[in-house]
Amino acid sequence: MAAREIKTNIWSVGALDWDRQLFDELIPLPEGTTYNSYLIKGTEKTALLDTVDPSKTPDLLDNLSSLGVKQIDYIIAHHAEQDHSGSIPVLLTMFPQAKVVTNIKCKGMLQEHILISDDKFMVIEDRQTLSLGAKNLEFILAPWVHWPETMLTFLKEDKILFTCDFFGSHLAQGGLLVGESAAARQKVLRAAKRYYAEIMMPFRTSIKKHLETLKAYEICLIAPSHGPVYPDPELIIKAYRKWISDEVKNEVVIAYVSMHSSTRAMIDYLLDALIKRGLIVKPFNLPRTDMGELAMALVDAATVVVGAPTVLAGAHPEAVYAAYLLNSLRPKVRYLSIVGSYGWGGKMVEQLSGLLSNIKAEIIPPVIIKGYPKAADLTMLEVLADAILAKHQNDDLVRKEACNNG
Amino acid sequence: MQKYECKVCGYVYNPAQGDPDSKIAPGTAFAALPADWVCPVCGAGKDQFEVIGD
Repeated sequence: MAAREIKTNIWSVGALDWDRQLFDELIPLPEGTTYNSYLIKGTEKTALLDTVDPSKTPDLLDNLSSLGVKQIDYIIAHHAEQDHSGSIPVLLTMFPQAKVVTNIKCKGMLQEHILISDDKFMVIEDRQTLSLGAKNLEFILAPWVHWPETMLTFLKEDKILFTCDFFGSHLAQGGLLVGESAAARQKVLRAAKRYYAEIMMPFRTSIKKHLETLKAYEICLIAPSHGPVYPDPELIIKAYRKWISDEVKNEVVIAYVSMHSSTRAMIDYLLDALIKRGLIVKPFNLPRTDMGELAMALVDAATVVVGAPTVLAGAHPEAVYAAYLLNSLRPKVRYLSIVGSYGWGGKMVEQLSGLLSNIKAEIIPPVIIKGYPKAADLTMLEVLADAILAKHQNDDLVRKEACNNG
Repeated sequence: MQKYECKVCGYVYNPAQGDPDSKIAPGTAFAALPADWVCPVCGAGKDQFEVIGD
């Protein structure tokens, strides 16, 4: 990615990664990603805000070279994760006078993870400022978006908030900014929601606090470390407010796997029963599911049903994986249930329930049957659908959805 | 004062020690922690904690 000017003496110097398909060997990247790094030149000092993934260090160095950068005084590290800090050691070799500016927690992590020596740091406190000459940076400590050491930088004169992973999206695109068209805005919001779901969702409490803090700042531009820059900060701030709110939608996520179509028949029946009752269903056939899509659906859903057959006396590993992920992401889901079919026995419900201990949801009685569903089993699924509907009605979700659709 | 355990990661909040990272002074009861206080190890909210006794 070529270096691009955002405003006078502020450039984006990071890297596009069109081809990367998987992040953390876990998260699918259907639209690639970017590692954004920003260069700010004051009248006296020059600062680089974050670096890039080590695999893309040459791109960053090319960009700095193309801008004729001879000196970097400060490398601001918002986050110790290697996709942003990974090039710091190379930069410190090239610019040995540069100081790594960060908070005390991040300093420790950078020392542990990328082996930066103690004398290279300048430790800052929350709300401390740093002058570059005509450009003043204010540091805002914002732990848990998404590691304990994360922080933000506000460039006062230009009213730009540099947020690192907070508000980010895994979206590689030619344009530096979010486009003005409705389609462009929708595209980035979708990518940002996926990113929120996969990375930020467990930290709703902290995000809420940070959004409150940011109300005191007049922000004209949000520049994250992944994905495009937001020229309309409210676009992403409003979306985050909605995602972290306690509100849920009249939606039932059904994450299932079936081996010989017994569980599948149960799921098909349950889907129909829920649709007939006016509930919005989001089925995910787990072996064919992009886990990012499932995580996104979990952002808003009121209810989650896990469906699985037994394998060697336990739940199918695909369902175990989904339950583990659900438990780790801790969505605001209010109701949970399990359906499934066994061949001759097993401990599926105990096992899956045990994996979901972090979820504060109310358990709606599971429907576990032997073999292919028969009339009595289908009746139990009707009862389950009724129970889900009653919960949604009781929470006023059904009516709300009707209003929204209208 | 009672200790509380984070059910997500196992961290134990000990009121006698407080939580220096979040500037919580020693002697602060769990109930007196701010509503937006989070587990210093995993970032989980107060609702993920359970009392484990003195």
